[in-house]
Amino acid sequence: MKKKEFVDELKDALEIEDEDQEITLETNLKELEEYDSLSVLSIIAMIDKNFGKQIPSSDFVKVTTVSSLMELIGKEHFD
Amino acid sequence: MDSIFDLKNKNIIVTGASSGIGRQCAITFSQLGANVILIARNKERLKDTFDKLEKGNHLIISQDITEYDKLEQIIKYSVEKIGRISGFVYSAGIEMTLPLRSMQPSYYEKMFSINVITGFELAKIISKTKYINKDWASFVFISSVMGILGQPGKIAYCSSKGALISGIKAMALELAKKNIRVNCILPGVVETEMSNEMFQRLSEESKKEIIDMHPLGLGKPEDIADACAFLLSNASRWITGTNLIVDGGYSAR
Repeated sequence: MKKKEFVDELKDALEIEDEDQEITLETNLKELEEYDSLSVLSIIAMIDKNFGKQIPSSDFVKVTTVSSLMELIGKEHFD
Repeated sequence: MDSIFDLKNKNIIVTGASSGIGRQCAITFSQLGANVILIARNKERLKDTFDKLEKGNHLIISQDITEYDKLEQIIKYSVEKIGRISGFVYSAGIEMTLPLRSMQPSYYEKMFSINVITGFELAKIISKTKYINKDWASFVFISSVMGILGQPGKIAYCSSKGALISGIKAMALELAKKNIRVNCILPGVVETEMSNEMFQRLSEESKKEIIDMHPLGLGKPEDIADACAFLLSNASRWITGTNLIVDGGYSAR
């Protein structure tokens, strides 16, 4: 999946509708207002749908930036 | 000495009997003298439950009950082996926590298929004149307090449990002339595998919040099984079309 596509999917999962709100690979997800336990469940569902991977919510403790989330999924999935 | 609260000589079908509330129901009913027909998918766990039952004329049926075309034959088989049915507890169900933005039609369909439709299909078959005890029968559907209360991330679960609550009222009116009573139990959060799995997906904060909302703490499967036993017994002779809330005070707020 292209990195830009992934960021768009992530914005959907977080319900960030403001197109001007920039999310980059360095954005720290934990600092986002929208990042709560329900959003984590949305992200898990999005990852399952796009990559066929089921990541337990306990693994999200390690997630900080968007880049760290991509690492959790596996960098090989992204171009 | 016989008690109006026991289940002697009653043949009771329990679905979801391999774990949680269903498992405890089967055990409790056997302790009260019932013959129990246990239905679930996992054969090994069914056998585990079976081994914990008090002596009686019990039966295990390993079957995925969402295979609707198989339901009639398992009920027919149960009646042939054990006798006419005096009780039915629908305890099979799944949980889902996912916000509205991530929901898909297929997720609702799966939830309703297992939590509602299969239960009603089984009731349809069990209530047939050739299978049901003509003088006395009682159906109990395990719903949830989440069928009358809301919680973020639980649209599919809440609506499926709510469907049971209203559905049984119509069913109760329809089946009264056959001496079949139909009721729902609405548990709060009970300590089962299913609720433990759900808790693991939530933050510590959310978990504590949910526990704190139960004035009497979380429930045990025995709490629900005992309430089911009452609704299946002669002591609830005049109770039909209603919901029995068993939630440690959760919904009293």
